[in-house]
Amino acid sequence: MGVETIPRMPTPLTAERAEAMSQRMIKKHHVAIMLLHWFNATVWLTELTTGAALISSPHFRVVPYWYIALVQGFFGTRSHLLQFHITVGIIWMVVFAVYGIFGVRTYLAREVIEKEVALDRDDWRWLWVRLRLILKRTNESLPPQGVYNAGQKLFAGLVYTMIPIVMLSGLVMAFHLVSTSLVQWAIVIHFAAVGMVFSGLMIHVYMGAVFPEEKPAFFSMLTGMVNELYAYRHHFKWWQEVKMHEQVWKREVAEDIRNGPSISRPEPPGATEALPPASHRESQFKAALQRTFRQPQYWPPYVAGFGLGLTLLATFVIMGQGLGASGGFTRYLVAILTWVSPHYVATHDYWSQYAQPGQSPLLDFLVFELIGVVIGGFISGWLAGRVRIAVDKGPRISKGTRYLMALGGGTLMGFGARLARGCTSGLALSGGAVLSAGAWVFMMAVFAAGFTGAYFLRRYWL
Amino acid sequence: MSAPFATSFSTFTYFAVAVVLGLFFGFFLERAGFSSALKLTAQFYFKDSAVLKVMFTAIVVAMLGLVYFSLMGWLNMGQVYIPATFLWPQLVGGLLLGAGFIVGGY
Repeated sequence: MGVETIPRMPTPLTAERAEAMSQRMIKKHHVAIMLLHWFNATVWLTELTTGAALISSPHFRVVPYWYIALVQGFFGTRSHLLQFHITVGIIWMVVFAVYGIFGVRTYLAREVIEKEVALDRDDWRWLWVRLRLILKRTNESLPPQGVYNAGQKLFAGLVYTMIPIVMLSGLVMAFHLVSTSLVQWAIVIHFAAVGMVFSGLMIHVYMGAVFPEEKPAFFSMLTGMVNELYAYRHHFKWWQEVKMHEQVWKREVAEDIRNGPSISRPEPPGATEALPPASHRESQFKAALQRTFRQPQYWPPYVAGFGLGLTLLATFVIMGQGLGASGGFTRYLVAILTWVSPHYVATHDYWSQYAQPGQSPLLDFLVFELIGVVIGGFISGWLAGRVRIAVDKGPRISKGTRYLMALGGGTLMGFGARLARGCTSGLALSGGAVLSAGAWVFMMAVFAAGFTGAYFLRRYWL
Repeated sequence: MSAPFATSFSTFTYFAVAVVLGLFFGFFLERAGFSSALKLTAQFYFKDSAVLKVMFTAIVVAMLGLVYFSLMGWLNMGQVYIPATFLWPQLVGGLLLGAGFIVGGY
């Protein structure tokens, strides 16, 4: 098998070769980057349209009064508009922080600095030639470019510098941080930094959406792929890299075949076959859904925890209280006790507080929430194929021992939960989130006893 | 309109919302693996820290959300139930519940 040599400089292509290259798609963007790009685009569009309507001072105003009146009218009042503007900004910051924290090693350090911002000698020359091309002073060809060209790198550098400034000054303005004079400065800085980004954004949007030569770049932000011909003509150095990866991979596969049957290697990261048809892409979306909801593995703890946190937040905002469990069970018990002996419940100091005369103890948030918990847990387990009848126990004990442990442990937990006026959900989780001192004492006590007890019970679990 | 909204709900809406919130609660607990006693107790043998990670992620997310909502004046924190502190009962209750946790597994 002959290995084709990778040219050092772009050479004219035969028509056949160009046609073949235009049919072959190579991967340019990771799906996380595409999502971030469109999220970022949506935020900028929203923030620019709402932000422009917030500047009503006659000295700074950038839009006509009718526009300000229109947008403020749409939101009812200026203060609602401001709240909306700030909320979108905060969401933007949180998403960027998450991307930053999780991507700092693999993405930020290497990709951003090296590929997206830093200008090398070819880039500087590219800028110079590009400028003279625009002025029609030359007809020489542009120097080869990496995965992003020098113009894109300049824009990225500008945006990466300005974004933290916009964010910080926005925070200072939104929450009146430090001092009034700082807030006044923040207004000017916020405005100037956004202006810088806006001027770059105009070119960026024009190049992406209008400029015909860059059409493949626009579609690559939707599909993640560009055709090889475009890569060859516009990002030659990157094309070389992809080719090199492919050849290394081909060589390794060839070696594998020579050395006899063994595990097959995965596809190289840079290259895939031609873009699949639309129906296939749709099924890829289905496959992603399947991976997320129907895999037998549990979700990563931070993802599940984030969902749980949003649920808890929604519960506080809607119901004015947190989630719980043991309080609901208590009410089920009181309902049974009332059914057996209303007199006993009514005269009992503890039970009677749950049973106001003429009202069922079951008419409570937690009682109904627990019904939802059973359904929601079942849905999740059923989707993932985890629903089964089983006894979860350590390998060294019998089922009988496990049942006894469950009974004993449950009794202890029930007593402890009522003594503390809450359980892991109602007190530790919900009380913890509103910084109830007792809740944190309780939580520490739970883990202290758990870790201590684990030592003595290791024979039962391990 | 200012949160919490529950005071303006009809009885039916109130309980329907309660079921839906519970549904999400149960869903995420199961997604985290908290339906398995072996996964929960693995926390106490330093084999799987999902319990601490999930719990503290949830607490931090809800806490930041509450701070933000109340800063923006959307949520009246005065109407949000904050569990009162009873130091000794909660300390002893926590120890008992923790012991029960490792014995019973849930």
